[in-house]
Amino acid sequence: MLALDPRSYGNEKSAASLMEEVLILLLGCISNRGYKLTFESPKNDKLALFQHGERAFDHILLLPQKSKGTSSPANVDDFGLPNPGLGPALTPKLLVQFINQNGNILLTLSADYPTPTSISSLLLELDIHLPPDRDSLVVDHFNYDAASASEKHDVLLLPQGSRLRSDVKDYFGGDGTIAFPRAVAQELGNSNPLLAPVLRAKSTAYSYNPKDEADVVEDPFAVGEQISLVSSMQARNSARFTVFGSAEALENKWFDGKVKSVDGKDCKTANREFAKQIAAWTFMELGALKVGRVEHHLSSITGDAAGNDSVAQLGYLNPTIYRVKNEVTFNIEISEYSYDHLSHLKIDPSDALQLEITMLSPYHRLNLIPISQTPNSTTFSSTFKLPDQHGIFSFRVNYKRPFLTNVDIKREVTVRHFAHDEWPRSWEISAGWVWIAGVWITIAGWVAFVGIWLWSEPAYEQSKGKKMQ
Amino acid sequence: MRLSRQLLSFLLVIYAASISVAATWGFEDATVSVNKKGAGVGGGFKEKIGENKALSKPIALGASETLKILLTTKEDNKAKRPHQAFLLVKDPQSNLDTSFAFQVKENGKGKIELTQKDLPAQLLSSTGPLDASLVIASFGSTKPYSVKAFDLAVELDSGSPLPSSEKPLRYGKLPQIHHIFKSDPNSPPKIITLIFTAAVVAALPVLLGAWISLGANLNHFSTAFSSSPIPHALFFCSILAIEGVFFKYYTSWNLFQTLPPAFGIGLVTFLSGSRALREVQGRRLAGLR
Repeated sequence: MLALDPRSYGNEKSAASLMEEVLILLLGCISNRGYKLTFESPKNDKLALFQHGERAFDHILLLPQKSKGTSSPANVDDFGLPNPGLGPALTPKLLVQFINQNGNILLTLSADYPTPTSISSLLLELDIHLPPDRDSLVVDHFNYDAASASEKHDVLLLPQGSRLRSDVKDYFGGDGTIAFPRAVAQELGNSNPLLAPVLRAKSTAYSYNPKDEADVVEDPFAVGEQISLVSSMQARNSARFTVFGSAEALENKWFDGKVKSVDGKDCKTANREFAKQIAAWTFMELGALKVGRVEHHLSSITGDAAGNDSVAQLGYLNPTIYRVKNEVTFNIEISEYSYDHLSHLKIDPSDALQLEITMLSPYHRLNLIPISQTPNSTTFSSTFKLPDQHGIFSFRVNYKRPFLTNVDIKREVTVRHFAHDEWPRSWEISAGWVWIAGVWITIAGWVAFVGIWLWSEPAYEQSKGKKMQ
Repeated sequence: MRLSRQLLSFLLVIYAASISVAATWGFEDATVSVNKKGAGVGGGFKEKIGENKALSKPIALGASETLKILLTTKEDNKAKRPHQAFLLVKDPQSNLDTSFAFQVKENGKGKIELTQKDLPAQLLSSTGPLDASLVIASFGSTKPYSVKAFDLAVELDSGSPLPSSEKPLRYGKLPQIHHIFKSDPNSPPKIITLIFTAAVVAALPVLLGAWISLGANLNHFSTAFSSSPIPHALFFCSILAIEGVFFKYYTSWNLFQTLPPAFGIGLVTFLSGSRALREVQGRRLAGLR
């Protein structure tokens, strides 16, 4: 794992102190879980995300960068660019490549440290929009910490655990209050299903630029619940990218801090728990699904035998060919990773794991039902009748949900016609009885005719004379 | 002890009083009006909004109408400009909301104009009325104001279609699909089949009866069998056996099981038939047929 602290841009001392301040707790709880941490400054020439074309790190934690304007004068060597970005090793292209190679990124922003343009353009590529004013922060005059921000109202207090949708797993839930100081608002594009907000502002919040001289906000960048303070993006390859709107919320001060709500109630912050959830989700400790056995067989074969082993022993498991209208049973075993172990997957009743029987388009789309469960996996099953259409079908489980890694399992089978000897016999079809009777009556008549022709005596005496003519 | 407790309660009362008189944001002289485009001033609907209470009737906003709110914001009864003066429009059904900022002058006079075009499609397509609240707040310790002011009923123009609010793709459960199978071929009612089968079966006795009435008989049977018994028996039995082979083929045999016996029996039929038919020819030449 690579923790990048771009605030150390030419200032090693502040880097160290900031690290103590910001990182120890978050990274402490990460490194307790067995991560090997590497701290790098983007200024480091040797920093490279890739080695021999492969990822050099599993995960990246990007911390906000001190802007050039506020850094010490000794550093202003490229004054032409106020905030050039993160250097040649961390261009948006390389970060996207890192995601494409299954690397996870946790990006923290802070209103105190203007976001570099390279980060903004990277986010823009993912359809996450940051305010055009790089100093913008989110305020909410109704939900703020009265203890530390009674004047500026820029430390938002938000309840943990607003569920995205009723059918989506709640990984970031809890009863606590999160303090969110000096946050950067994000707006998520509506057309991208890979994006999901994790923490949203309340409806009275808005984003504004404190450096703006106007003392009234007339055209806010974002208002209300459209402000996403923590956003997540899970790429098609399940790599995760999280934008955390307030790096300060990860500081020591807020991890176990006390805050006071507007109506005067004191409460503890739940930032530690929330940070743990966010880091665990981003670094694939939560919501990572693993598919175990995928099996299908003719339903008739199981018979009374218990379990699927008997089917396997009989050698009838996962045949490559079925016939139209066969009854087939499909089983899939899925586990979910939870912090440090695989656990069984539980699906909310309002959601469903679905199996599609497709040839070009789905013929069946059926809900898979959990039939058995072990401590670290759940087996889902469905029994269905194959469609009356021959061809190459696939049994497909395409389970894509926010916050869960994508499952797309396909098993191809041939579905053949009825063979000539599998149709019902003609006498089973009542409409054929007339024709069958006709055939056998004809045969009986023919046999009778043969007998009469062989052994019959002429019926009349006169015929002799006629025949003689 | 008692004294100190009294003192404490006294202090509490003072503290509570100080809270109740703490500065709050508010407004005065608020009017909401709906005007049709082109209509003269005062042509449309106009109503005063009071602080801390909502209008009882919903305000209708037509397609070509403009909703206008004028107000003067106050901090603690003094006209003052707040940092946030929003009209918060919320759909109570979907919980979607958005805010529109007032244009507020230095002296607290604020104005906002809203048409249907300003509302996002998700709110326009809402079936019920929308909640419109006034949100007035600013920095510092002054208490912010956020109270529902009126219901906003959007009246869509039936002629012009709604701006397309196609549902964006979201990963989730999809509707189930159950393949509709072709219906099984069906047979006519059994009674009809049985009547016609009976008619076909009845044809055989009718045929035999007709033959017998025309004088068909088996009188030469003993003659034939006495002169050449083996060919006649073999010939007739082999014909029966061929029919038996056909029956086996119909019920269970495949072609490869059928052909060898059919050839074998056919050979017997051929050889015995030539003998048997020679006997028949002999009877014909003897004038018996």
